[in-house]
Amino acid sequence: MTAAAIVAEESLPAAPSMKRRMFLLIIRKKLAMLAIAYLAVFYLCGVFAPLLAPHDPNEQRRTVEEVRQPPSSEHLLGTDTLGRDMLSRVFYAARTTILFTVAVTITGGLFLGVGLGLLAGYRGGWVDTLIMRVGEVLSGLPTLFLLLAITAAFRTRIDDAAYWLREHTWLGDDAKTLMQFTIIVGATVPFAWIGSSRIVRSLALSIREADYVVAAELYGASTWRVITRHILPGILPLFMVGLSGSMASIAGAEVALSFLGLGITPPTPSFGNMIADGAGVRTFQATPHLLLSAALPVVLFFFAWNLLGDALVDLLDPRMHRR
Amino acid sequence: MGPGLFGYAVRRLLWAVPVLFAISVIVFWILRLAPGDPVDTILGRHYDEERAAVLRNKYGYDEPIYVQYVKYMRNLFQGDLGVSTRHQDFTVSEVIWPKIKVSTQLGAMALFITFALGIPVGVYAALARGTFLDPLTISFWLALDAVPVFVAIPILQYFFAVKLGWIRLGWEGVWSPNIIMPVLLMSLPGVAGVARFMRASVVSVMHEDYVRTARAKGLKERTVVVTHITRNALLPMITVIGLSLPGITAGALFTEQYFGIPGIARESLAAVTAPDYDVILALVLFGSTLFVLANVLIDISYAIIDPRVRVGMRRG
Repeated sequence: MTAAAIVAEESLPAAPSMKRRMFLLIIRKKLAMLAIAYLAVFYLCGVFAPLLAPHDPNEQRRTVEEVRQPPSSEHLLGTDTLGRDMLSRVFYAARTTILFTVAVTITGGLFLGVGLGLLAGYRGGWVDTLIMRVGEVLSGLPTLFLLLAITAAFRTRIDDAAYWLREHTWLGDDAKTLMQFTIIVGATVPFAWIGSSRIVRSLALSIREADYVVAAELYGASTWRVITRHILPGILPLFMVGLSGSMASIAGAEVALSFLGLGITPPTPSFGNMIADGAGVRTFQATPHLLLSAALPVVLFFFAWNLLGDALVDLLDPRMHRR
Repeated sequence: MGPGLFGYAVRRLLWAVPVLFAISVIVFWILRLAPGDPVDTILGRHYDEERAAVLRNKYGYDEPIYVQYVKYMRNLFQGDLGVSTRHQDFTVSEVIWPKIKVSTQLGAMALFITFALGIPVGVYAALARGTFLDPLTISFWLALDAVPVFVAIPILQYFFAVKLGWIRLGWEGVWSPNIIMPVLLMSLPGVAGVARFMRASVVSVMHEDYVRTARAKGLKERTVVVTHITRNALLPMITVIGLSLPGITAGALFTEQYFGIPGIARESLAAVTAPDYDVILALVLFGSTLFVLANVLIDISYAIIDPRVRVGMRRG
């Protein structure tokens, strides 16, 4: 065993890896653990909705005895205005939320956000200026307002396209949901990349000057290799932290749009359109479970992401560790 | 305000012109791109080609889009924001200003409450760091942030108006007790964000040398916290406050809707779905102008407060 190897082995426990440090710190944060536990349940319910749902989420039972029933052993969260089992609809709504957030974070956050941020930070020059100015213009626009404008403006065109898809492809009734999904994702993405690309850009700017990056460049590594092997690994943890903090607001965009009737519309379950069914003082007075059964799972989802995001920011901010 | 600062301010303001131009072109284009126009909405079920053509001619929608744009901009520079098609033939100014006024009054109150609560909460959490009180305080406000207003409104209205009878629902003007709940609904969800930012800021200054010096001098803990820690921690807060200022004019959609407040957010949604081209454009341009101005003001105020920024400016 060479001397260098011995030194390396001895110094290993003294400097635990990033992953291990994060793990230890999260364990210490009990609230973050609770949040992770809830998110795990939420994601499992959403992903395995067809296996876990006790009833067909779209099966209507429109009789007086079956409609708007409060929670019971048969229907744990009660039934909605059309006699559908709300627990099953909640599972499928979780699925809608998961699909939406994953689609937006992959296209907007990961693909555009990291891609453009890296390009701007690593290349610099006019590329940097152009990307950042476009971001500035986009962030100058009122977001929710523009989301509304875009979704409202393309509504009839979407309906036509959905009709065409239903007639000409195997999608059938899913065509409408697919088109609605596409439009709300498409309307959210142009605004979703700006925040993460700013973080990535500033990180890339500082890492670009790091010794190991300069060394890799001197060895003649290609730009692609430098970015993927040397810069990206340094950026991803912080990028994930930023993402976890904005998860609630991304998911919230879909819920708000669907609540207004501009996102996912019934019969496809979404927390937004389920909450809309139970909203209103009179409705709440008569049948509080319509609102509560739909709202509680998604409110806890937002809360859990907020808690997790807060805990993670704390862990990774170097200023926070100075004593 | 030295010459460097003045030049900097002018350059920043000049940069706002192409930004606003780009925004106006994008919005103008998106609106015209969408199928259906205001004339369809005005005529509704009584649609016939002849009357539609007359109306399109009256509002100028039959012209090519760039001609419409040039005409719109020419009128805009003469202070004419155009006419509303939803409120037939009222001018845009008559439609939007009273509603912006209502929304701004409520928004200003809400913003004040958000920061008046958020800043002390953040300082408290930072000082309680390491104890269970810190995460508990922040989580409480994060929980409030997690409840969408459209979920909170029916529940609160039921308890406070129907069950307890403490408040009346409905609009009786800005200066009536009925606005307490809407203003709280607009302000409380934002407290968590302000508190978290303030907490991080306090944590980053609380171990600075000047704080240790102040303590070593034997100053009272209260004085150290207020004048040495909080005052310095407030500096980065300028950005947050500045960027939230333009937002107070935008109104809160759900709150206005459910409390019957004649504000601008409801008008915006109605204008978007109608569509009411000139009203939408006026609102977007108004909002983005405020946003850009706020950005410039933030940068300038930084330059005034922090001399290092000024030095960097002259070089750049």
